[in-house]
Amino acid sequence: MADFLQHIINGIATGTIYALVALGYTMVYGVLKLINFAHGDVMMVGAYVGYATALKMGPGTRSSFLGAVLVFLLSMACCAILGFLIERLAYRPLREKPRLTSLITAIGISFALEYGFQLNIGFLPGAAPRAFPEIIVPTEWLIIGDRDVVLWNWQVLSFAIAVALMLVLQYLVFKTRFGRAMRAVSFDHRIAALMGIPTDRVIAITFMLGSGLAAGAGILYAIKDTIVQPLMGLYVGLKAFVAAVIGGIGHVPGAMVGALLLGLVEEFVVGYTSSTWRDAVAFGFLILVLLLRPEGLFGRVTAEKV
Amino acid sequence: MQSAQATVKAVGLPYGVRGILPILLAIPVIALAQWLLIGLPNGPFVIYIASIVGVNLILAVSLNIVNGMTGQFSIGHAGFMAVGAYTAGKFSLHAKDLVISHLPAAMSDQVLFLFALLIGGCTAALCGFIVGLPSLRLRGDYLAIVTLGFGEIIRVILQSTEAFGRALGLAGIPQWSSLFMVWIWAFITVLAARRIAGSSHGRSLWAIREDEVAAEAMGVDTTSYKVRAFVVSSFFAGIAGGLFAHFVPIINPGSFTFVKSIEVVVMVVAGGLGSTTGAIVASIFLTLLPEALRSAFTAISGNAEIAQRVDQIRMPIYGLLLVTLMLVRPQGLFGNRELWDVIPRWIPRRRRAA
Amino acid sequence: MSEVLLRVEQATIHFGGLKALSNFNLEIRRGDLKGLIGPNGAGKTTAFNILTGVYRPTSGNIFVAGQWVNGAKPHQINRLGLARTFQNIRLFRALTAIDNVRVACLAEASPLISAERLDAIRQKGGLTGRLANLLDSANDYYDWWRALALTPGFQREEERLTRRAEELLKIMGLAHRRDEEARNLPYGEQRRLEIARALGTRPKVLLLDEPAAGMNTREKSELMVLIRQLRDQFSLGILVIEHDVRLIMGICEEITVLDYGETIACGPPEKVRSDRRVIEAYLGDSYLDTHPEVEQAARR
Repeated sequence: MADFLQHIINGIATGTIYALVALGYTMVYGVLKLINFAHGDVMMVGAYVGYATALKMGPGTRSSFLGAVLVFLLSMACCAILGFLIERLAYRPLREKPRLTSLITAIGISFALEYGFQLNIGFLPGAAPRAFPEIIVPTEWLIIGDRDVVLWNWQVLSFAIAVALMLVLQYLVFKTRFGRAMRAVSFDHRIAALMGIPTDRVIAITFMLGSGLAAGAGILYAIKDTIVQPLMGLYVGLKAFVAAVIGGIGHVPGAMVGALLLGLVEEFVVGYTSSTWRDAVAFGFLILVLLLRPEGLFGRVTAEKV
Repeated sequence: MQSAQATVKAVGLPYGVRGILPILLAIPVIALAQWLLIGLPNGPFVIYIASIVGVNLILAVSLNIVNGMTGQFSIGHAGFMAVGAYTAGKFSLHAKDLVISHLPAAMSDQVLFLFALLIGGCTAALCGFIVGLPSLRLRGDYLAIVTLGFGEIIRVILQSTEAFGRALGLAGIPQWSSLFMVWIWAFITVLAARRIAGSSHGRSLWAIREDEVAAEAMGVDTTSYKVRAFVVSSFFAGIAGGLFAHFVPIINPGSFTFVKSIEVVVMVVAGGLGSTTGAIVASIFLTLLPEALRSAFTAISGNAEIAQRVDQIRMPIYGLLLVTLMLVRPQGLFGNRELWDVIPRWIPRRRRAA
Repeated sequence: MSEVLLRVEQATIHFGGLKALSNFNLEIRRGDLKGLIGPNGAGKTTAFNILTGVYRPTSGNIFVAGQWVNGAKPHQINRLGLARTFQNIRLFRALTAIDNVRVACLAEASPLISAERLDAIRQKGGLTGRLANLLDSANDYYDWWRALALTPGFQREEERLTRRAEELLKIMGLAHRRDEEARNLPYGEQRRLEIARALGTRPKVLLLDEPAAGMNTREKSELMVLIRQLRDQFSLGILVIEHDVRLIMGICEEITVLDYGETIACGPPEKVRSDRRVIEAYLGDSYLDTHPEVEQAARR
C-alpha cells in the first residue's frame, strides 16, 4: 500500500513534467502540423541555462524565492528566444514544402543540439553530467510511516508550478483573442492569413510559448534528477510526444491527461518490474494507442478532403 | 526515377539470361577487387574500411526503398540491422564448430555464413512486417516515431537479455566475412533496388509517394505495398547487420543506436530521396570522409586525441548538414534521378536497342 | 436489359452535423451515360467519394458489380470495376505519362496461387478464410521475388503491360507525350491523361469528376465526343460530374441534380431542364418570380 502511494506520487510528479513539454509539442503540431523533434532538446538547453544562472548566483541567492524565480524566468526567456530563432531560420522557409522536409530539418536541429552540447568547446558543456545546483532546498513535507511514503517539497512545488503554467496556457488558448488566432491558424493557416490573422507572428509566439514551457520543465526535471546532461532532452522529449499522441495530438487538455497517464504507467511498470524497462514503456504505450485509437483519447478523426 | 525504357529492353538479350547476367559478371570483378586490395601495404585496414563502406551502402540503398521510393519516413533502420547482426551472430556462435561433410573447411564456413546471413535477414524482415503492418496504416509522422521507438525497444531488449550478452554484447563471432562477401551483397542490394524501381511494383511505390489517395483509387493496395517495401528494406538491413557482425570483433547495442539510424537517413537524404545512385554515392562519401579526416588529423598531429575530436564534431555537423541540406537543396545530390537514366543518352542513337 | 454495374440505394453521409449527401440513389448499367450536376458544394464529389470508398456512407447501400461494398477500401472497389478521375487533377506528377498509366494497369500476374483457388479457399470461411488472405500475401511477395529475379515470365508481363498502356495513351491522343513528366503537360492533356490512367484499371464503370473543367468550348465538345466513343469502345457505364450544364444535357441520357446533398431532380435532360427546383437551385428562389420568362424559355 505504501509502495502504491509512493508510485502515485512519483508518477504524478513525472507526469506533470512530461505535461509541460507535451503542451509545447501539441501546440506546435496544432499550428504547423509538424512534430518538432527538437523540442526536447530546447528543454535541455533550458536546464543548462538554469544550471549556469544558478551556479553564477551562489548558494544563498539561488535558493531564495526571488533567486529561484529569476532562474526560471531567465531560462524560459532564453529558450523562448531559441524557439523563435529555430522557427524563423529553419522551419518558416520550409512551411510550404512537403512535411517530410520539415521533419528532417527538425531531426537535424535535435541532433545538432544534442551532440553540440556534448562537445567541450567554448560555452558548450560537454557530455559529462553535472550536478544541478539547489534552487529549492529539499525538505520532506510529508512522511507516512517510517519513510515508507515520502513527499518532497520540490515535488509539490513542481506540481504547483506545472499546473499554474498549464492553467495560464488554457486561459490563453481559450479565453483570449490571441488564443483564438492560434486555433484559427491550427485549422488552416492559409485561410487564417486571408482573414487578416498575422500567421507568422502567431506561429512564432506559439513556438516561443512552447519553448518557454519546455525550459520550465527542464529546470523542474533537473531538480528531480539532480543532474543535467546533454541527452536528457531526447527521452523526455520522446515521452512527452507520446503523451501528446495519447491525449490526441493538437488537443491541449489531452496532452496534460496523456502526460499524467504516461507518468503513472511508467512509474508503476518500473516499480513492479525493473528500471531497464522505463524507456520501453512509453513506446509500448504508444504502439498500443496507435493500434487501438490512433487519434488519441480526445482527438477527432479528421477526414481528408479528396 | 526509373525511365520507361531502361530496364526491360537493355540490350537484345534473351529473357532468361537477363536475370542472372549481372551477378555472373559481378562475381569475377569483385573477386579481382578483393585480390588487388589485399595486396596493398595497409591491406587489412583497407579491407576493413571497404567493408564498412559496403555495409553502409547496403543500409542506405535499402532505406532508400522505403524513405525514398515510397516516401515514408522510417528512422529506425539501425534496429533492423541489430536484429540481423545478433541473429546471425548467435547462429554463427553456435555453428562455428560445425563442418559440412564433403566440403573443405573454408567453403563449409562460407556456406554456414550464408545461412547465418539469410537467417538474420529473414528475422529482420519478419520484424519489419510486425512493425510495419500496424504503423503503415497511419499518417506519415507516426511512422517516424514508431520506427524510432522500435529501434529503442530492440536496444532495451538486447541490453537486458543475458543470451545476447547485455551491454557487453556478443564476442567471439567467427570472422567469416570477406570483402568479396560484403561487396557481392552490396551489389545484390543495388540490383534489387534497381529492379524494384524499374518494375510495376516500383512504379506503384512512387505513385504512393506522389499521391496516396490517387494510387488507392487506381487499385494500388497502398498499405500492403508500403509493408512490402518495408519488409524488403528490413531484410537488407538485416543482411548488413549480419555482415557487420562477422568482421568486427564484438557487437553490442552501442553499435546500433539511434545515431546510426540518423547517419543512414542523412546518407539517403543527402543522396536524394528516391535515387539509388544518390544513396550509393552519399554512403561511400559519408563513410570515407570521416575516416579520411581522422587519418589526416592523426597523421598531422601525431596523436589520436584529435581524431576523437573529429568523431565528436561529426555528430552536430551531421545535424547542421541535414538542416542546411533541407534549406538549400532538399532534393539532395541526385534528386530522384539515377545515373543509369542519364547514361543511355550519351550512347549514340544508332547503337541503342529500339 | 444490360447488366447493372453500379447500384446505390439511399446513400447518406454525415460529417458531424453536416448532411453532405442524403438518400442518394443511382443505377448505372453497361452503356449508360449519366450526369450529376448541382451548384458548388451540392455533394457531387462527396457522392463520388462514397462510391469509390474514400468515405464510408453513414447509411444506405452501394453495390459494385453486384457486390456490397460499404466500407471497402478504394483499391478493392477499383478492382471490382469502378474507376474515377478527380476534380483537382491528381496525377502522379513526377512520373511520366506512360508510367502514370502503367501504375493503373496492374499486371495480370500468373501468381503462385490463382485467383480462383483463392476464392474457393475463402468461401470455406472461418480460419481457412483467413488462410486465403495469407496466401494472397504470399502471392504478392512471390510477385516481388519475380521482379527481383527478373524472371522471363515477369519480363513478358511487363512488356504486355507497357503495350496496353501505350495503346491507351494512343486512344487519348497522348502517344507523343509518352516520356514526358506529368507535371509538364498542358492542362487539357493532363485531364486526358487522368482518363487514360483510369481506363488502365480495366473499369466497368467510369466516374469522371469535371473532366472538362478549364477547357475552352472546342476542347469541351471534343472531349464529350471522346467520352461517348470510350463508352462504346470499352462497353462502359459512365457517370459525369460537370458544371457546364448545356454540355451535360447534350450527351447524357439521364441527369441527377443535387442541391445541399439532396436529390432535387432526376430524369432525362428535357425534364430536368424545365424543373422549377433545378432552376431555383442555380439562379435563386426569388429570381424566377421576378423573371418569369426564364421558366418559359426552359420549357421550350
